[in-house]
Amino acid sequence: MALWTSSLHPFLWLIVIPVLASPVVYLAGRLAGAALARWLALIALIVTCAPCVLAAQELAANGAATFTLGLVQLQFDGLSLLLAGLALGLGTSVTLFSNAYMRGETGEEKYYAALLAMIGVMVGLGCANDLFNLWVWFEAMAVSSYMLVAFYRDQPASLEAGVKYLVQSAAGSVLVLLGIAAVFGATGQLSLASIADSVRQAGATQATSAGLLAAGALMTVGFGVKAALVPLHTWLPDAHSQAPSGISAMLSGVVIEAGLIALLRAVSALLGEGDAVARFGQLLLLFAALNMMLGNLLALKQTQVKRMLAFSSLSHMGYMLLGFGVAAYTGQSAAAQGGMFHMLSHGLMKGLAFLAAGALLYTLYVAKGAHGPLMVNDLNGAARRYPLAALALGVAVLGLAGLPPLVGFMSKWQIFVGGFQAGDTLVALLVIFAALNSVLSLAYYAPLVNAMYRREPSHAVRLGAAMPPTMIVPLVVMSILVIALGVWPTLIAWLTEPAGQALLAGW
Amino acid sequence: MSLSPLAIVLLAVTLLLGVGFYGLLVARNLIKLIVVLQILAKAAMLAFVAAGYGQEHMGLAQSMVAMVIVADTVVAVIALALAVQVRRHYGTLDVRKLTTLRG
Repeated sequence: MALWTSSLHPFLWLIVIPVLASPVVYLAGRLAGAALARWLALIALIVTCAPCVLAAQELAANGAATFTLGLVQLQFDGLSLLLAGLALGLGTSVTLFSNAYMRGETGEEKYYAALLAMIGVMVGLGCANDLFNLWVWFEAMAVSSYMLVAFYRDQPASLEAGVKYLVQSAAGSVLVLLGIAAVFGATGQLSLASIADSVRQAGATQATSAGLLAAGALMTVGFGVKAALVPLHTWLPDAHSQAPSGISAMLSGVVIEAGLIALLRAVSALLGEGDAVARFGQLLLLFAALNMMLGNLLALKQTQVKRMLAFSSLSHMGYMLLGFGVAAYTGQSAAAQGGMFHMLSHGLMKGLAFLAAGALLYTLYVAKGAHGPLMVNDLNGAARRYPLAALALGVAVLGLAGLPPLVGFMSKWQIFVGGFQAGDTLVALLVIFAALNSVLSLAYYAPLVNAMYRREPSHAVRLGAAMPPTMIVPLVVMSILVIALGVWPTLIAWLTEPAGQALLAGW
Repeated sequence: MSLSPLAIVLLAVTLLLGVGFYGLLVARNLIKLIVVLQILAKAAMLAFVAAGYGQEHMGLAQSMVAMVIVADTVVAVIALALAVQVRRHYGTLDVRKLTTLRG
């Protein structure tokens, strides 16, 4: 029997190169010094961008591609492309940024190896086409992120964050597994497409529908831990603020979004026809409201910059859920696209915000061997000494608050327009609630900008070290993207439109 | 009254889940917490076997469980490594003492 039933598609290289490069980078770092690991990781990611472009062209020309190896089937559709593009793009910036940030840390080569593995398995997660496969990629992503969150293994706070993250994630992944077992027991299928088929055909006998309902609930909660749906979010502020700054950017910018994509993909297959989709939409809208409100209220009282940004990730998860919830509840394709656009723009802006905050943290503390948290007061007058980093942080947080002409405004706008077009009172009220939340978020973003630009330089800023150029390059590139995509949002439509369609095709 | 094999396995799954979730709520020692997580994972594995038995896909279910065992062991190893570091830096394994991060 031929094991390879289809030719090698370019999208496979997106998974294969980073995953194979990971042990190579580790060994190179071990044998030839960390400097080699640093640059090898960057080269591997830049090389991976070529098949990414090819896969995108192929997707636009021929539609979704599948690859089968034995029982494992991978499918590359619009949603996979979005996740792959986000993971690779942000991953490359983070690797370049970490070049200086992580220099000289113990176990530097492990950092790059785990980062590469995490990027590769996240692309795989986006391509998974059956439930068990989805879980395996999901668990691999979780394992590599545990190592990265607790990377500073000599700092108590980082260990504590690692323990919280690991225990909650592991419990969540057990729930996902139980849900998959329930689906398998009820339908005898694992492939997402055949589950959806058999759910539609069966028209739900009583016993199967109870099993599927339980499975849907288990998977919503299990994947919800990783996607930080609000009552399940308590690990997020700790993990995102204690991880090395590059990893904070990856976690907030891609990993929680990957959790959300896994949730949407897995649960979509169980819904079948009828009003189950609309009810799932209502559930997403409920989580959207909780996430927006709690994320914003908790962010308001934070005094540490990275912790504040972590809480704001909760509220941005809420905006994404609003887009997808409206799409499921009313069938609005504009809202689904808006949700995808916000996923992308949040990854970009939050990634930039964490990298800029990380750059300041580096110059003020890490470069001097200290590992204190970056307080809001430390930013006082930072714009005088570090104009580019301050500008990048300013652009990022104002974009997150949704000020035009930045990309955050355009993506929120698209979600809101999709919501109003639905013509449903409940949805309209939620959209107004989201808009008010967006204004509320200025209350904690604006003081950051104010502190950087209008205050006298703080003690820490006056004594700060010089900022290395490898840190400035990713900041500048991402700031330009945040502004450019805000002015010309159609530039990115080729990425968000197929993703929205791929999501809606499942409903 | 005699129980069918499937019912017995499902009963065992429920029991393991009960022990696991109760343990998650009350365990204070980090090592015990890791053991509890392992018990929960065992419940999920048994559920897979039960599902495979019910659907007569035993081979597929077993191969998946083997995969879960591998993934789960990796998690346990990382968790134990974290526990070693926690003991080293906090001087205790009591998770209630891990309270540097608040708010």
